[in-house]
Amino acid sequence: MDMIDRYLNAVAAQLPQDERADIVAELRDLILSRFEAKEEELGRPLTEDEQEEILREIGHPLVVSARYRKGPDHLVGPELFPYWLFGVKAGLLVLLTVQAIGLFIHLISGTDDAGQAISRAFHGFFSSGLTLIGAATVAAAIFEHYDIRPKWMTQWRVQDLGAFGLSDPATWGASVGAANATKTPAAPSWSLSPRVRPWPGGEYAFSFIALGMFSLWWVGLLHFPGLMHVELLGADATVTPAPIWSTLFAPILIYALVQMAVDLNSLFRPHAVRLRALAQIPLAIGGLWLTWAILEAGHWFTLTDRNGETARVAGDWVMLDAELLRTLGDGPRDLAGVADTLSVVMVWVLAFTAISLAFRIFANLWRLVRP
Amino acid sequence: MSLDPDLFESMRLELRRGSLVLAVLACLRTERYGYTLRQALAADGLEMEESTLYPLLRRLESQGLLDSEWREEEKRKKRFYVLSPGGVSMLAALTDEWRGINASLDKIL
Repeated sequence: MDMIDRYLNAVAAQLPQDERADIVAELRDLILSRFEAKEEELGRPLTEDEQEEILREIGHPLVVSARYRKGPDHLVGPELFPYWLFGVKAGLLVLLTVQAIGLFIHLISGTDDAGQAISRAFHGFFSSGLTLIGAATVAAAIFEHYDIRPKWMTQWRVQDLGAFGLSDPATWGASVGAANATKTPAAPSWSLSPRVRPWPGGEYAFSFIALGMFSLWWVGLLHFPGLMHVELLGADATVTPAPIWSTLFAPILIYALVQMAVDLNSLFRPHAVRLRALAQIPLAIGGLWLTWAILEAGHWFTLTDRNGETARVAGDWVMLDAELLRTLGDGPRDLAGVADTLSVVMVWVLAFTAISLAFRIFANLWRLVRP
Repeated sequence: MSLDPDLFESMRLELRRGSLVLAVLACLRTERYGYTLRQALAADGLEMEESTLYPLLRRLESQGLLDSEWREEEKRKKRFYVLSPGGVSMLAALTDEWRGINASLDKIL
């Protein structure tokens, strides 16, 4: 096999089957014409190096074959890139927030090795961030390949543009504040007009992304390394979920997905207040039932230290005692002490969740019936 | 202020990119194969890489602007291209557009 054949084989391997023979025949003629012209100029046959130089001028087989491709020659083109960049920036900020909250909980749960906790949080952020960037790139490549341009890209409305402020954390508070229509929302510092109200869909976009990431984690597609470990006097303790989480696996996933669907609808129709209220009421009732079921289970996690000793994170309503909250963290920093602290935190978190869901039911009932 | 050569090169390529299709169509009023077409363009001052020219010819053909046929010449089979009737109309329309842009730019420049 001579040099031209080797070159053309490399090109042909990248070409579509139906056009391969035709393109290769034309390229062969081009190469031979270039060789003949050069030989005529030099008055002698070309050396192998000179032939190779001409092939290099024609181009690397991957580059040459890519020019014949009919589809896009990029994963994320200039039209999609700004959307891709926004999605990645907003997603990374959410990941950063999740990791920061995880790190905070880790640090207050009695660790004496903050450095290791911080490094684990960094590792978690970078690995989940790379997964996010990969997923966004795959999605963009599919959009490019099939020339998909959703309505929100081509027929956008000015009133829906507030979500794009989400990549700036300074606007998050303003977006969330907009949920309460009676309050005057704070304008972002760069806002041209302080009277412009932030877009009310911002909180739904945030909720949608956060729940999406939660759902991916819940079904095991996204990993947050270090989430199921606590530091205990410098030793790593493993957190094992109690059976109640397996029992409620499907209901919790369904709850998250339905909430995402409501968020998505709210994102595109932020002013459809009554429709959203109608959807939020049964969802909040479902959330209350889940909260009740989790509390009733009475056992949520088991901590296991390096020596195989275990302690249960468990409790009931009786632990809703202000005195217990006041002395939180005063107990011993051993396995049982950490489990006791986490038990109190868990009961209070469940209580606050229940109160907030009950409030959500009444607030949405009011939105439905008010004139 | 000195001219940034890299920036100039990038802007120059951008400027001429749009005109290459017009040049190829104009050159193919006469039947040619790829290699002689490239030489003709180069002789008129429009150097074009083969890896750009050959795929462009196929694209123009698939758009119905060129006709092509394989014929033997100088003991080798070569693919000859020429403007199709659709290509003739397109060349006339693009030429008018080009002259319009040129006239406008002349006024501005």
